[in-house]
Amino acid sequence: MTIDLNFSSDQEQIHRSAQQFFRAEVPPELVRRYRSGREGEEEFARDLWKQMAELGWLAMPFAEAHGGFDAGVVDMYPIFLELGRSLAPVPLLETVILAGGLIAGLGSGAQKDRHLGAIARGEAIYAAALGEDIASHGIAPTSITARGNSLSGTVPLVSYAGSADFLLVLADDQSLFLVDRTAPGLTLEAQPNIAGMPLYAVTLADVPGEQLGGNAQAVVEAVVAKATVLQAAMVTGAGSRILELSTDYAKTRTQFGQQIGKHQAVQYRVTDVAIDAHNTGLLALHAAWAIDAGRPFLRAAAMAKAASSRAAARMPEAGHEVHAGIAFMIDYDLQLYTRHCKHWEFSLGDRRTSLEQVAALPA
Amino acid sequence: MVDFCADDTPQLKAWREEVRTFLQTELPNGMHFDFDFEEDPDRWAECMDFWQKVGRKGWIALTWSPEYYGLGRSAAEHWILQEEFAEYGAPVYPIIGMQVAAALLRHGTHEQRRRHLKGIAEATVLWGEGYTEPQAGSDLASLTTRATLDGDEWVINGQKTFGTAAHMAPWMFVLARSDPQSSRHKGISAFLVPLDAPGVTMLPMHNIANGRQNATFFDDVRVPKDCLVGTPGNAWNQIWFGMGGDSLMNGAPGPDHWYARMTRTLKLLRRFVAEGTRGGRPLSDDPIVRLQMAELEVEVETARLCGFEMHSNVVTGSPRAGSHIYTINLQQAYIKELYTRFAQGCMDVMGPLAQVQHGPWAPMAGLIEQQYRAAFGNHAGGTSQLKRMTLATRGLELPR
Repeated sequence: MTIDLNFSSDQEQIHRSAQQFFRAEVPPELVRRYRSGREGEEEFARDLWKQMAELGWLAMPFAEAHGGFDAGVVDMYPIFLELGRSLAPVPLLETVILAGGLIAGLGSGAQKDRHLGAIARGEAIYAAALGEDIASHGIAPTSITARGNSLSGTVPLVSYAGSADFLLVLADDQSLFLVDRTAPGLTLEAQPNIAGMPLYAVTLADVPGEQLGGNAQAVVEAVVAKATVLQAAMVTGAGSRILELSTDYAKTRTQFGQQIGKHQAVQYRVTDVAIDAHNTGLLALHAAWAIDAGRPFLRAAAMAKAASSRAAARMPEAGHEVHAGIAFMIDYDLQLYTRHCKHWEFSLGDRRTSLEQVAALPA
Repeated sequence: MVDFCADDTPQLKAWREEVRTFLQTELPNGMHFDFDFEEDPDRWAECMDFWQKVGRKGWIALTWSPEYYGLGRSAAEHWILQEEFAEYGAPVYPIIGMQVAAALLRHGTHEQRRRHLKGIAEATVLWGEGYTEPQAGSDLASLTTRATLDGDEWVINGQKTFGTAAHMAPWMFVLARSDPQSSRHKGISAFLVPLDAPGVTMLPMHNIANGRQNATFFDDVRVPKDCLVGTPGNAWNQIWFGMGGDSLMNGAPGPDHWYARMTRTLKLLRRFVAEGTRGGRPLSDDPIVRLQMAELEVEVETARLCGFEMHSNVVTGSPRAGSHIYTINLQQAYIKELYTRFAQGCMDVMGPLAQVQHGPWAPMAGLIEQQYRAAFGNHAGGTSQLKRMTLATRGLELPR
């Protein structure tokens, strides 16, 4: 064993399958259909989700008893790389990694059998309402209080809550609950947003929940860290597509009688994208390895998150500078990445939150 | 299979311990020394004394063949040694000798290796670099120093500039045009030139970071035919670009040397933040300082991981990000720009006293002030602009 940053042959195989699948099944039109922010539109592509269940991808990180093979974060990395590159409108991170990870980490045998089985088969969608560190501006308090098994409060930005069958809700005493999304007292308020993501403010008024395990803090911290790393893989994948669009455009667009890619000012902006995508991928791969190797990983994951938030902000900016007018048009695909990158920049903690985590954890 | 750990076996763990113990014994108080930014003869003597101890262990030539003064040890052991040296903050070995060694081990003759590798392995012979010329900096391939074969001797004429540490060195590794009809990179050869040869003159060029560089003039300097390395006219491919420019590290790269410098400084800065106060409040409680430090931590960690990637790419022969030329130019563009940004970031954390050089008011004994000046030496081995242009045109195939 020695230093090696290449995927194993099994991971290469997973990567090739993911490449083929997402490139064939997720054309930009599909992304447009689900991410236009139109009211009444489906939140995710159910056909795609069904196919991913058949491929076994929804069960991969679970134990064998639940249809998986205990896949590590590095095993999942290539799937998320390609998912991010395609912008596939599916709740893989939310349902499998976040909710599935929490149930696998805290659930009883019966809870795992029921819920992980449903996730693995693609039968049910789960959303995670773990709370966000937000700047309040006079709106309702956002923490969830638990009295016994009765939950009250509001969580502001919950992805896929509209199509979820169950929500995982973290109370402010760090206890975690499974909540039936159709339970009385649970209301959703859609949050129109730049990415056209299905985001909701979820309000609970004495809603009954089913508790998972005891103090959930450590498990939540680890599962969220894992999710931020795989989200950074998605940002890296999206970056590879932004880089490809920008490089292709710089090679083909001519002005002043030559390809604009000959101008070093343009080359600079293209290489900005390459550097950000590369560094985010490197930090994410390192954190993924640390998790799988059983090493301390919270600092590595926070660094990957901080880098991915910055890359998510900067890569579309550089892409737009290279493209100028054409990418400002709604029919051009770059804007799909611009919008979704903004979601990733803030989702699971913004840059400030992750940098504060880095500062708080010893080197 | 993805692995960021070099010492997964008990033998390698023991090796790491051995290196660590050596450093604690031989450098108990550390040594903040950058060979390219240092003129004090006593400090140089101290540094070379340390490196000669390393040399006596056989560790400079760790991976070389025993036939050429090496120990024939693995790339992983080389990485561990370099990593320990970087984390400990030991001085970096004057890099040009290692470049000469890498070139000779790949393309030198048996006689050249026997003659020159010993002094490099023992740290008794320093080497100067003769690449850059007044009119050939970033555009190195336009160099005009000529080498003409006259019987059994090459006759060298021309001028080299910005030569780091050349005045400390009895030998220089010189790139010169051996085919007068050639243009650009075709027709450039590499020569091992003794600097006491008649016709060599050297003038000092003092840099802004306390170091001396040199202008070296060659007037009909005659060297034996066997001072040429490799085959005539092929230096560009064999020695320079063939191995990825400035990462000529004998097939087993260690952590990036700019990373080594930054991590050494960052450790001291962490202590400054842990102990310092501002406006009556501990610096470590200041949310702005915390964010500034976290930014530096993320960037220096990124530079650290770049070293792992380069090692993996070279040792496995499988560049993770497509091609070697893509990765090295991307990494170098990033790290070179980071180096100046890092120095400024340290100053931001430190505040107004960061400008003071000596005396009781100088934080960290003026280290950050000196490192800030030294950061503008980040062009050594090619500017970040050049790395970006190469990344764009050769890595991403944008038009030239």
